[in-house]
Amino acid sequence: MGTEFQMFVRQFKKNRLAVVAFFVAMVLFFLALFGPYLTPYDPLATSHDTRLLPGFWDDNMENPLGTDGLGRDLLSRLLYGAGISLRVGITVIIITAVVGISLGIVSGYLGGVIDLLVMRIVDIVLAFPPLLLALVIVAALGTGIERAMLAIAIIYIPGLARIVRGSVLTVKELPYVEASKAMGGGHFWIMLRHVLPNVITPTVVYLTLLLGDAILYTAALGFLGVGIDPSMPEWGAMLSGGKDYLLLGKWWITVFPGVMIFLAVLSFNLLGDGLREAMDAKLRI
Amino acid sequence: MAFYRYLLKRLLIVVPTLLGASIIVFLMIHLIPGDPVTVMLGERATDAAREALIQKLGLDQPLHVQFWTWLTNVAQGDFGISIRTNTAVTEEIFSRLPATVELTFAAIFIAVVFGIFFGVTAARYRNSIFDQMAIGFSLLGVSIPIFWLGMMMIFLFSVVMGWLPVSGRLTLGISLETITGLYLIDSLLTANMRAFWDALRHLVMPAAALSTVSLALFVRVTRSSMLDVLNEDYVRTARAKGLNMNIVIYKHALKNALIPIVTVVGLSVAQLLGGAVLTETVFSWPGIGRLLITSIGFRDYPLIQGIVFMLVFAFIIINLLVDLIYAYLDPRIRY
Repeated sequence: MGTEFQMFVRQFKKNRLAVVAFFVAMVLFFLALFGPYLTPYDPLATSHDTRLLPGFWDDNMENPLGTDGLGRDLLSRLLYGAGISLRVGITVIIITAVVGISLGIVSGYLGGVIDLLVMRIVDIVLAFPPLLLALVIVAALGTGIERAMLAIAIIYIPGLARIVRGSVLTVKELPYVEASKAMGGGHFWIMLRHVLPNVITPTVVYLTLLLGDAILYTAALGFLGVGIDPSMPEWGAMLSGGKDYLLLGKWWITVFPGVMIFLAVLSFNLLGDGLREAMDAKLRI
Repeated sequence: MAFYRYLLKRLLIVVPTLLGASIIVFLMIHLIPGDPVTVMLGERATDAAREALIQKLGLDQPLHVQFWTWLTNVAQGDFGISIRTNTAVTEEIFSRLPATVELTFAAIFIAVVFGIFFGVTAARYRNSIFDQMAIGFSLLGVSIPIFWLGMMMIFLFSVVMGWLPVSGRLTLGISLETITGLYLIDSLLTANMRAFWDALRHLVMPAAALSTVSLALFVRVTRSSMLDVLNEDYVRTARAKGLNMNIVIYKHALKNALIPIVTVVGLSVAQLLGGAVLTETVFSWPGIGRLLITSIGFRDYPLIQGIVFMLVFAFIIINLLVDLIYAYLDPRIRY
């Protein structure tokens, strides 16, 4: 096991971009965890006197990245926002993983009517363009952070369920599953003990690739004003709040949150690509 | 013959998918937590107004009756009346549809033309600076939030440079007789060059922003597909017999590299339809994406249902067409 992991790490290190992405992702995780303690100001505190102040480029060291239209410190909001974006992203991934893997295993292993039913529903959900589906769910359930998470998770569940089902179909024909059945293993036991471990590895890589995407959708919903409460320092919502000020030349309110979204999405995408390549290389050997 | 059998099979799959999608769109209104009438009309609505809305939407009927009524109406192109504007949903949608169609087509055009050109050139000069730049661009392009990119374009090209208009489709005061609703085509049909130029200036930024993700994808896929094809024997033969390199690339190689590209073009339609919602919001483009966001804000459910159904319908039909083109290009798929 140890050598297998070392081989994986060695493969991963060959991709320099992915290694850089890994460190950027670590910094983002650090900010997400400790950002709220590092913020110089309350990210929600408004003040009329500090409205639309430029940052360090104008020798304002009090607010290095400037302030927004309500006088809130942009750096504090960005740091706080890292926590929101990553928390939403990771929660989405967890919901997707639990529901998607369960559905895929049950559908693939049991087959028959259940399989048919699950796969038809998957087809139907996949017939919706992703962002549109999220909007439908948010329109029905109302806005809010939990609902946005649910809406984004529902985008990914069908795809994951289909992938898992595919691997289950091959795994369930293998001799050790047959053997376990012969020894009197129940369906639940076989699914948990024999099928699940064999579908988990490809799934993990797929989920890493989804994390960047989930952060992007969170920001998109926030930008459209249907994600989380617009006063919260969510990156996408910050962009939408800064839009009108952009025309007045107050660029920093939109530039910095956008850079953060871009950086987060890019690093998770590169990290996911790197993991997949390393995994593929390992599988080939 | 085999193609027609494939066509029939694909058409038969579309029907249950459409039906399932319409069930989801229909049920949306019933998923609203609490009382949908209160949500739509607000707390202070009079009993008479509430009763009228319940009657109008048929909410006092059993669920299956409601669905059947809704479905038969939709089949006849009747999505009901918008709660906010009191006009027919179909009318609202069709007045906005041309703007979205124009934007989406312009974006696809940009993505296909530049995507294929950059992809082919990158593959042709493999490992050159241009190739590296194309790879870098395709990497960045899929991760960039297009709504942010749109805002940065506005800042650069409108606010700083003052070259392009910030939003809308046409400058106030420029008149244009609408025939198709696609301003570029209408202005050409009426030989109105002033309007054509103005509409084009309005269209460039939103279309470029919307095309980014697809463009990045097309560059990547075209490049790798071309690299595969360029190693084939027939390409070597064509070159060995002394054909001009441009003819070899664009006539012999590209034709065979097209199949994966067609698939990605099909896949990117979903992205474009979702992206249109974002791009239209950034550029205040009066299309149905923006209408959808406004109607979500006003909780105008008949309008939301109508727009979503139209977009999903379009998406399913486009996917069907892509599959058919794909099968037509590559006969192996049908079997």
